[in-house]
Amino acid sequence: MAFAAVCGNDRFSLNQPTAYSGPGTVSGDRTVTQPPATPLKQVHPARPSPDAAVTDGRTETMGSRPVVQVSGVDKVYANGTVALQGADLTVKQGEFVSLLGPSGCGKSTLLRIIAGMGEATRGTVKWWEQDYKVVGDKGRKLAFVFQNATLMPWARVRKNVRLPLDLEGTAKRPESQQKIDEALEMVGLQGFETAFPRELSGGMQMRASIARAMVTEPNLLLMDEPFGALDEMTRNKLNDDVLRLWQAKDWTVVFVTHSVYEAVYLSNRVVVMAARPGRIVEDVAIDQPYPRSSDFRVSTEFAGYCRRVSQALERASQMGEEVAS
Amino acid sequence: MKLPLISNERFVQIAAPIAVGLLFLVAWEVTVVAMEMPRYLLPGPSAIFQSLVNDWNTLFRGLLMTLKVTLMAFGIALVLGVAASLLFVQSKWIEVSLFPYAVLMQVTPIVAIAPLIIIWVDDTTWALTICAVIIAIFPIISNTTLGLRSVDPNLLSMFRMYRSSRWQELTRLRIPSALPYFFGGLRISSGLALIGAVVAEFVAGTGGARAGLAYLILQSGYNLQIPRMFAALALITLTGIALFALMVWLSDLALRNWHESALRVEH
Repeated sequence: MAFAAVCGNDRFSLNQPTAYSGPGTVSGDRTVTQPPATPLKQVHPARPSPDAAVTDGRTETMGSRPVVQVSGVDKVYANGTVALQGADLTVKQGEFVSLLGPSGCGKSTLLRIIAGMGEATRGTVKWWEQDYKVVGDKGRKLAFVFQNATLMPWARVRKNVRLPLDLEGTAKRPESQQKIDEALEMVGLQGFETAFPRELSGGMQMRASIARAMVTEPNLLLMDEPFGALDEMTRNKLNDDVLRLWQAKDWTVVFVTHSVYEAVYLSNRVVVMAARPGRIVEDVAIDQPYPRSSDFRVSTEFAGYCRRVSQALERASQMGEEVAS
Repeated sequence: MKLPLISNERFVQIAAPIAVGLLFLVAWEVTVVAMEMPRYLLPGPSAIFQSLVNDWNTLFRGLLMTLKVTLMAFGIALVLGVAASLLFVQSKWIEVSLFPYAVLMQVTPIVAIAPLIIIWVDDTTWALTICAVIIAIFPIISNTTLGLRSVDPNLLSMFRMYRSSRWQELTRLRIPSALPYFFGGLRISSGLALIGAVVAEFVAGTGGARAGLAYLILQSGYNLQIPRMFAALALITLTGIALFALMVWLSDLALRNWHESALRVEH
């Protein structure tokens, strides 16, 4: 119910169509499956961009500008395990991209590299067409949501949510209190500010974790199987919540999951990965309008996309076996 | 019929050990009386209690002396131990170079080096304190170092993603994570400080106005005042239990809101 405020917010018009330029760069060994009949048009809210002010009122539309460019990235661990081989991925402004694949396909490794939490062995990564070290100076912000809520058990919910502002040194500013309140309200945790994490259910801990990610008003949100440990009802609810927030805020999302249904339900694009060695094998565009609801989950289009993605996963695993044998 | 007190878990936790203790004392007293045991071999609890009352002034002075050494040693071990841990986690190099010496200090028998320390340090109280520090410091160093390293790696990655400073990392992440380990170290260390104080005094054999409980035990042994010896021993034991209980209470106070060890399980 806390999200009703977000949806009904008249700052954001939910019905204004915006051109969508389709998935990113295609490299040689990777097939890109496009939906055959439907045109590449997508209903998506026009959202205020952080660039709007900087670039003299020019409104940025989704897909016009790369947020993350991963090119030729390999990750080899010290013990010789090749976690990732030749990964190319471009994520554009406003996209919701899922990385989907079996365990060991390097999807989490790729996400951590995108977060700057791990260095690539080879290849380059650019954020907003720049090096990681300069990203912070331009007011571009990343946020990361882990598979576990990863809260500080000794701190109350409010202090946990405030953490990124504390680390930035902006927590004392008057507008920060408002940001924290807003983040808590968005995830429906108002009234739980003084609770300790252990007093919350798994789903509520995840909400606190999302509120913490939101509080800095990030431009790029990275989520590593955030709802993998939750029951299906809670997971569906949180999926809807994340979609609403994504539409209301100026977010670009990269979402790691091993659930075909979750990936198709949430994303503009599903990037299918294979294991041993971890690599990107297919890039499936999910060309369906937002907001998506439970009706979408039972639609024939949804089933069609799920089949297509599942087949891509199957092909990927067969390729893996060929490599292994 | 069900007794209400028996079903109260808290009551049972306190009453059961006390009941066992009383039974033991009664059996002891009965055995001593029945076998007509001479006092200089094995006094009964009543004789020990009587000695505790009669010699209270001497015993209390000894207790204060031992307690003073114990608490000073514990305080110094705490400060130095934590400082050493904080130093160790600054770099793997520092830890690798210095940790073996902390272990060396731990495995050296204190009775073997106490005479040296007593020769080197003029003031006996300080000599005893130094011996007790040497014994008490290791659990604090090893536990706190372990705790400062036992940080959730994802939280640490997140801190770094938000470009945290080393200071923020230490105060907001490492120190809170280390608290449960630190308090575990304190519990062990408080007992060891007392043992160190007593053992060092045995070696030093300081008498006169500065006599602690250990010296009273020695002296009572020579004079065959066995009840007084037991009374002094009882005071040492009670001091140890009180210190341990204090540490448990402090640890519970600091951790009860969030750490598993301090949570009350509800049935």
